[in-house]
Amino acid sequence: MVRAALAPSRRRIGKGPLRVAAFVPAATVVAASFLSALPIVSTSGWYPDFGFLVFTSWRLLRSDPWPAWWAAPLGLVNDLFTGYPIGFSIALWSATMLALDLIDRRTMWRDYWIEWVLAAVLLAMDQWLQWRVAAIVGARVAFAMMLPPLVIAICIFPFSAWLVSRIDAWRLGR
Amino acid sequence: MATARPGWSRRAQYGLFFSFLAVIAGIIVGLVLLVLSLVAPATFNGVRGAALDVTAPVASALHEVTATATGLVSGAGDYWDAASQNGELKRERRAMLRRMIEAKAILQENRQLKATLQLRDQAHDAIAAGRIVGSSFNSPRRYAILSVGSSDGVQVGMPVRSADGLVGRIIDAGSVASRVLLVSDRANIVPARLLRDGIPVISQGRGDGTIDVRPLEVGRNPFKRGDIIITSGTGGLYPPLVPIARIVKLDDDGAVAVPLADPANISFAIVEPPFQPSAVAAEQPSSPADAP
Repeated sequence: MVRAALAPSRRRIGKGPLRVAAFVPAATVVAASFLSALPIVSTSGWYPDFGFLVFTSWRLLRSDPWPAWWAAPLGLVNDLFTGYPIGFSIALWSATMLALDLIDRRTMWRDYWIEWVLAAVLLAMDQWLQWRVAAIVGARVAFAMMLPPLVIAICIFPFSAWLVSRIDAWRLGR
Repeated sequence: MATARPGWSRRAQYGLFFSFLAVIAGIIVGLVLLVLSLVAPATFNGVRGAALDVTAPVASALHEVTATATGLVSGAGDYWDAASQNGELKRERRAMLRRMIEAKAILQENRQLKATLQLRDQAHDAIAAGRIVGSSFNSPRRYAILSVGSSDGVQVGMPVRSADGLVGRIIDAGSVASRVLLVSDRANIVPARLLRDGIPVISQGRGDGTIDVRPLEVGRNPFKRGDIIITSGTGGLYPPLVPIARIVKLDDDGAVAVPLADPANISFAIVEPPFQPSAVAAEQPSSPADAP
């Protein structure tokens, strides 16, 4: 589907996909990870994990926004920018690619609600793993503390998915 | 990936199978790196520092914008009740003046006593002063990004303070930026005492911007609302007599306090040498650079 879409369209002359269309999704994920360079000092940590949010949005929109193994380097970039322990996003993002492929085999149909539920589950896994890893290195906090950022991330997901679908249409020249 | 057969093409089948293997390899590499960074945090100091150097200039450049925006908002708020604030400030100023004179007298007396006792603290001059330009957004950990790095002499383990109080300590140092473990992080445990009567307490972050304070001796809860907690210098990481937090709420065996140095509002943070350098060396056996 995507590969076919990458071919220039004949219907509207001069309105084909961008020359760099194949790299746009990965670039947006890196840009989202880079949001952690914003000069916002948060004392509560209620901001969503922007990189993972955009990553899941792309993966739920398309089955191959990037070659599957790109998840590892993209995760490394996220780890470096956000200050997570190195390897956290590499493992989580690769596992997300794998899990969503397996889920794609099982689901008979998809709609917005199912995508939102899937995203919610993935974001919850992300929060839970962060909480576990923090506990391992001696920063054990009550899990209730992780719930506000989780709820906020789940509520922001539709916006992220919408934004990603707009970027997708733009990169394919639709 | 390997799950769906793409058709009869061998090439396409192999392609999918190898991408499946690549993802599994990605997971394994990620897990190995994660375990490494959990058990030996100093392994990735270099690459983490380099990443800090990439992000911090952006944050520094944008910092002015957010500072102006927040300044406008709080500035407008200040105009709202200028008259009552003015009176309050005048009262506070009079009280402060009295306190200052008392403090000066105490300082003088203290100096004399120390001279007679031949007590000597290691001189701590500031190593560098920088701005707090960013923070961790969304994990249970509380980090801040400071705009000075190893090119200014900053090293891992050094305490960071502002004029208001203790901010935290350095855990990653790039060449132009460094990452600070804030006092409100759960893993940051600061030996402290009550300013009012010197009872030794332990301060530990709660991960949400506040601090848990517990007395060292179990028994009566010694805290009152409004009490100030200061560092005791025990352990040697943090210098003594730096204010940490003000108590806002009591619970069964301790209290919840709010850091006096709010990382979102302080303009400058000062990096100081460790109070006793051997303490940092003991804390970080894997980084020989800090050894005295």
